Amino acid sequence: MTEPMQAVRAFILGRNPKLGEVPDDLDLIDSRAINSLAFVEFIFLLEELTGEPIDPEELDLDDFRTLAAIQARFFKQKASL
Amino acid sequence: MAVRDIEPILLELDRLEQMAESGYYNPYTMFDWPDAIEPDKPWMSENLTTLAGTPMWDELTREQQIALTKYEAINFFSLNIHGIRELMSEVVMRIHERTYANVSEFLHHFIGEENEHMWFFAQFCLRYGGKLYPAQPTLKADSVDHLSPVAREMIVFARILIFEEIVDHYNAYMATDQTLPHIAREINRVHHQDESRHVAFGRMIFTNLLGQVAKRDPAEVPLVAEYLENYLQYSIGTLYNPAAYRDAGIPDALALRRRALEHPARIEAHDRILKRTRSFLTKAGVGRDVIKR
Repeated sequence: MTEPMQAVRAFILGRNPKLGEVPDDLDLIDSRAINSLAFVEFIFLLEELTGEPIDPEELDLDDFRTLAAIQARFFKQKASL
Repeated sequence: MAVRDIEPILLELDRLEQMAESGYYNPYTMFDWPDAIEPDKPWMSENLTTLAGTPMWDELTREQQIALTKYEAINFFSLNIHGIRELMSEVVMRIHERTYANVSEFLHHFIGEENEHMWFFAQFCLRYGGKLYPAQPTLKADSVDHLSPVAREMIVFARILIFEEIVDHYNAYMATDQTLPHIAREINRVHHQDESRHVAFGRMIFTNLLGQVAKRDPAEVPLVAEYLENYLQYSIGTLYNPAAYRDAGIPDALALRRRALEHPARIEAHDRILKRTRSFLTKAGVGRDVIKR
């Protein structure tokens, strides 16, 4: 797992210690691992890890739904290096 | 909205209604708006900025410090505006529901006054700062879906109350801070005055609805407490807007935000901001101590 993805996983586990682990295909939104109160912090984390701003107007929820989707949307290029 | 499961809210509001009537003012004429804010004056109290008490504040140039007070004042007022938009839309939808018939009179004062607050906060931001900060992104799927209808109803008013109490901590201090421009002091003073009634009402309606939650299912109270604690933390987080750091010319805004949020001096500041609300929630039986980890 890449370093940024470890940080993403640590963020989710930090807020959901009962989860124990975060499977790549867990629906983070339906399972409320990321709820609306955590969402802003999560966006800031992704912005910091990618170095790219995320436009709130252009958000597609499916990009945040699973760890696999987050990896594909935000860290694909970096992961393949 | 599922308010059928909720018992009518009966509260003794005569005194608050009389105060709202006797203290009524015209916000559109009562402020003397200067053409510009005096240069070199902070727009919000320096010790209420999000870097106060940390080496990160001391490392700023004086120009950056003043700029940070400017952009954090705009952020603070913008948060007020978005918070008011949310609470007004919730309250408007309930104002003639059977559950709220007994408190409808006060809710009319409440909405009217909140609309006026929204107007003067926006005036300040747009006249002197030329902008508002946008509302934070939210998820459409809500974080209260796991709660019962009455608990969700309680959360609506709890959010309003918590938001108002946090804001009031800032308003009360800035209302008398002589380092601020007169107009900034005035806005904080007038808001503080009205909010004391809103907070009193908020606590009464919160207590009523929490009683209904506990009566229906006492096991739900810890879940509500957990939500409220998360909401307190969320609210503190919104004060730290990376866009305000960037606008103040401070580099590395996101890393700075993270460092500031974790700094011991800031954690103490958060405790001070939340002290009154936490103590109220604990006394009501829905404080951090009842959360099941």
